[in-house]
Amino acid sequence: MLKKGIKYTVALILLLIVGYNSVYIKKLSEVKAAAATGKFDATLYAQTFWQEKLTPGLAKANNLPELLTLLKSDKENAFKNYSHALGIGNLRYFLIKGIGKITASNENDISVTLLPDSVGQEVKLATEFVYGNAVRDALGILSINDFSNTMDMNNVSAEINKKIRTEIIPPFRAQAKKSDVVAFTGAIELNQVHLRLDEIEVIPVSLNLIQK
Amino acid sequence: MRNKFTVLLSLLLTLLVVGSCGKKSGADEPKKIAVIISTLNNPWFVVLAETAAEKARALGYEAKIFDSQNNTALETDHFENAIASGFSAVLFNPTDADGSIVNVLKAKEAGLPVFCMDREVNSPEAATSQILSDSYSGCVTIGKYFVQQMNKKGKYVELLGLVGDNNTWARSKGFHSVVDNYPDLKMVAQQSADFDRNKAMEVLESVLQANPDITAVFCGNDAMAMGAYQALVAAGLANKVKVFGFDGAQDVVGSIKEGKIVATGMQYPKVMAQTAATFADEYFKGKRDFPKKMPVAVEMVNQQNVSDYLELAKN
Repeated sequence: MLKKGIKYTVALILLLIVGYNSVYIKKLSEVKAAAATGKFDATLYAQTFWQEKLTPGLAKANNLPELLTLLKSDKENAFKNYSHALGIGNLRYFLIKGIGKITASNENDISVTLLPDSVGQEVKLATEFVYGNAVRDALGILSINDFSNTMDMNNVSAEINKKIRTEIIPPFRAQAKKSDVVAFTGAIELNQVHLRLDEIEVIPVSLNLIQK
Repeated sequence: MRNKFTVLLSLLLTLLVVGSCGKKSGADEPKKIAVIISTLNNPWFVVLAETAAEKARALGYEAKIFDSQNNTALETDHFENAIASGFSAVLFNPTDADGSIVNVLKAKEAGLPVFCMDREVNSPEAATSQILSDSYSGCVTIGKYFVQQMNKKGKYVELLGLVGDNNTWARSKGFHSVVDNYPDLKMVAQQSADFDRNKAMEVLESVLQANPDITAVFCGNDAMAMGAYQALVAAGLANKVKVFGFDGAQDVVGSIKEGKIVATGMQYPKVMAQTAATFADEYFKGKRDFPKKMPVAVEMVNQQNVSDYLELAKN
């Protein structure tokens, strides 16, 4: 009878120990804060990328007229040495710079003729449809392993493009008019298999009117 | 004397067995790669499977294709079979983003690397690498073209694929990341048609009864785009409503040339399959730092560039 009592007491103590160690109570606010700490902040990432990587990296931008000449004469060399992309496939991105004379201010873009005049090529500076991965990828310093999932990568592009649409383009659009000369940096997307050089669209990173 | 002979014979047989076992796992035998595919009842996945197997063989390995027939239980059998039969890697097209995780983990525990192709599993750590179409970015491009073609206004319908499939939402989110910035573009219905042509036709016929004034339909794949187009033809609206698809299927690329469909996103199953086989080869040679997900670019096909893609779509 005494033995039975000891057995039940030990079992009860064990049960209490197991029960006590199985249940943890935390404040909901603490759990939410911990989860938020580990969450990827695309806005912050895009801002840091812009200030610390992209802006200084613009010094390495390819001169657009020279790049176009190379693309016409030696496409493989141009793509191999100057294009980048986080993924694989035919779509590649180039970081570029150039100077152009505005020939038309359209609803969704601004047409410029590249200078000097001898280049004779017209390109479009996108002012409305600033989407896609061109600016994120063109610098070539991000790695796919920097991101734990593809949605984070997509959100970084979205944040960069939003910054361009809201901060870079409006002041330029407000002032730019036909015959002005603009110095620009930005990114272009080209298809290395189906290459079309007659419809180049620049996603701008900087736009400065240098002659009005 | 007879006992001695029996002992000698037994020893000889044992040596032969041990010898043959050693040869089987020796360096001279090519490693075996299993290509496990969700279904071979769809030509798109047949291309994926055959390309993966061909590339594996070209790299010097044995390759065998397993058809899961869209059945996770059968898929489990294939994985168990591959592990037990001494396969060294799996090139995998999952049947179910969640349901297939357990199979990938089983292979991982057995030391087999798994490379997912085209479809993903919802676990960042299970597969060695996942090579997937960049559906989101492809649909960003289509979304931009959609807004341009619609002149930033009008009513439209979205036909979603299987609601449990990650590709369905990657495509939808990419599209809406552009289109939703234009408040005069109004989505009057968003319904699933399960990536199925006939179902898309039925769904759109029903939607058109309440919304005969739509001017566009965005579809999560090309089969649904063809079904939507059929419904529009039947309703006499084919010339008024713009249809957009995704996949790069031969009939849709042909329809773009004929002006029936406006645009689609060209995917590259062969690139995904070849990359998966190449990754397996690199794994065998010691590489371990594979990207968890490798996006493959999707290219938009429209009236302006369709001639570039007619041959590709046939293959």
